[in-house]
Amino acid sequence: MNYTKQIQDIAAKLFAEGKIDVFVGYRMNGFDDNQVPVLIKDPQDVSKLVFTDKSVFNLVNYLKTDHTRRKRVGLVVKGCDSRSLNLMLTESQVKRENLYVVGICCEGVVDEAAQKMQNCVECVVSDAVVYDELLGAGGTLSGSIKPYKVNADVAALAAKPLTERTAYFEEVFENCIRCNACRHSCPLCYCAKCCIDQETSTLYNGANTTSAAFHALMTWSLHLAGRCVDCRNCEKACPSHLPLHLLHKQNESVIYENFQEHLAGVIPEDRGAFYKYSLKDPDDFIM
Amino acid sequence: MSVETFVTDKAGLQKFYEAIMASHETYAPVEKFGKFDFKQVRSLSECDPESPISKTQSIKPLFFPRSAKVMKYVATSAGTEVSEVDEDPLAVKRVILGAKHCDARALQVLDKVYNWDYIDTDYQKRRENTVIISTRCDKADTHCFCNSLDYDVENMVAMDVLVVHGTDGKVYIKARTDKGDEFLNSDVPFPASRVPNEVAAPELKKQYDAFAGSFRLKMDYKEVNARLSKIFDTPEFENVSGNCVSCNTCAFVCPTCHCFKISDEKVKDTGVRYKSYDSCNNGYFTLMAGGHNPRPVKYRRWRQRAMHKFVYYKERFGENLCVGCGKCTNACPVNISIFEVVNQVATSG
Repeated sequence: MNYTKQIQDIAAKLFAEGKIDVFVGYRMNGFDDNQVPVLIKDPQDVSKLVFTDKSVFNLVNYLKTDHTRRKRVGLVVKGCDSRSLNLMLTESQVKRENLYVVGICCEGVVDEAAQKMQNCVECVVSDAVVYDELLGAGGTLSGSIKPYKVNADVAALAAKPLTERTAYFEEVFENCIRCNACRHSCPLCYCAKCCIDQETSTLYNGANTTSAAFHALMTWSLHLAGRCVDCRNCEKACPSHLPLHLLHKQNESVIYENFQEHLAGVIPEDRGAFYKYSLKDPDDFIM
Repeated sequence: MSVETFVTDKAGLQKFYEAIMASHETYAPVEKFGKFDFKQVRSLSECDPESPISKTQSIKPLFFPRSAKVMKYVATSAGTEVSEVDEDPLAVKRVILGAKHCDARALQVLDKVYNWDYIDTDYQKRRENTVIISTRCDKADTHCFCNSLDYDVENMVAMDVLVVHGTDGKVYIKARTDKGDEFLNSDVPFPASRVPNEVAAPELKKQYDAFAGSFRLKMDYKEVNARLSKIFDTPEFENVSGNCVSCNTCAFVCPTCHCFKISDEKVKDTGVRYKSYDSCNNGYFTLMAGGHNPRPVKYRRWRQRAMHKFVYYKERFGENLCVGCGKCTNACPVNISIFEVVNQVATSG
């Protein structure tokens, strides 16, 4: 998977035609063979752009920063990234007419040890679902949804007794340092004032106690239930290497099972699992 | 201070560590989820004092905890009663194993601010009661640049006891402070021969030279200090901070960052007030009660971070607020390097 040439050409063309103010892509980090995101404003810099299986970070995150707000933006999205972009569009966070989206038919990206990432192995929608231009040999959208399987780690953990699971998660919350990097690197966490930033609330104070970490991470994962697209930006940002995907993938599998096989952001304009209300919704769990 | 260096081998060093754990409250790097953090340990099997620098958190939380109780309070109809918190668990006599040189140095830098207008007695107590044992690295990591900064990595006295793995396969253990000297000569028996310092010196020098030759990054900090102080208004800050996602993790893992916030954990009428880490990259960091924010955009916050590290702290305390450990770059989801940032800005105009 190497679309470096095509993306450079597209970006150069967009700048030449005056269609964009900034192009968001990837560049080499300058010290090893890994890549970092780059925001290109000067057309002369388009030669810095690259795209290979090392292009990991979900660039939709940059649509919520000062650098792109109220600007015309060119953007590269893989399958999972495009799903989060779909949600940003549905939730009215960005305007479609301000974007020029280069979609990728993704074959999976690799981590720093050159191993294919777990979310790519389990990926259900690898082709970009929203784009102006599609790179790579992908099928149509309907043909490209692969069968959904419960995440391997979630399944392994679910097989363990409750006490063991409790102990495992206690360890996770104990090792959280409350830097909130997971939230900031998540493309779908765009609230101007996050509820876990309240300085004087009972549950989500800024302290780094295990209980505060528990409440912050659980609230965060519940706000992303039915929205998380499994891009794993959060996990890559976590300085303690916490297995944050467990929280999201657990929610995802429950929602898939109970909400007509709902997958976040796959269908444009889809209002999502928790946006819809029907009188026929089951309520037998309410006493 | 002692004129002798202890010479032993790898097995002797293990015995040394075991003897310490048997008789002292000991903190050492413990692996959790692939990262090492300093925790209290009782045996060598729980920890790895030689943990890789790129995966190890700093020792700062043992002196300036990520969250510390400041006070407790109870609201009654007669008013609010404030009480002292329980005893500080970090203020007991203790030993830290496997601290990196850069982390030890960071405490020297922090001492300046903690001994400034307000003397933080909790911090002082923790410092006084701790013996720091630091192993010199054999090889610089990708983002290390400690020997480019304003401290002498070879001869520094930031740690109490220095451990060096010589190129000859022997292990050299040497006191660097009186506290370290007293510690080595007290109740930590381990098999070692003693040689005069001058005899061990050539091997220590040889090891240091090999280490110093392995740095990828080199910079002239004086040049950076001088240039940065003149270009506050350069647009380059906007370029270098472009792909920052403002996640704040750099400040949380930094061994020298010391900004904090105050928050309350309260249940009904009783509460505990906490002092916890904060970061100047946070959008609301400078937000005032009236709603004004003097640093409303990302590049201004980044400028503050770079300037505080290489200009303001230097002007006020004579030290850079950066020890070149590379932790921020390792932790950063988009690999922004403070090294690159300050160099790029300093050479921009």
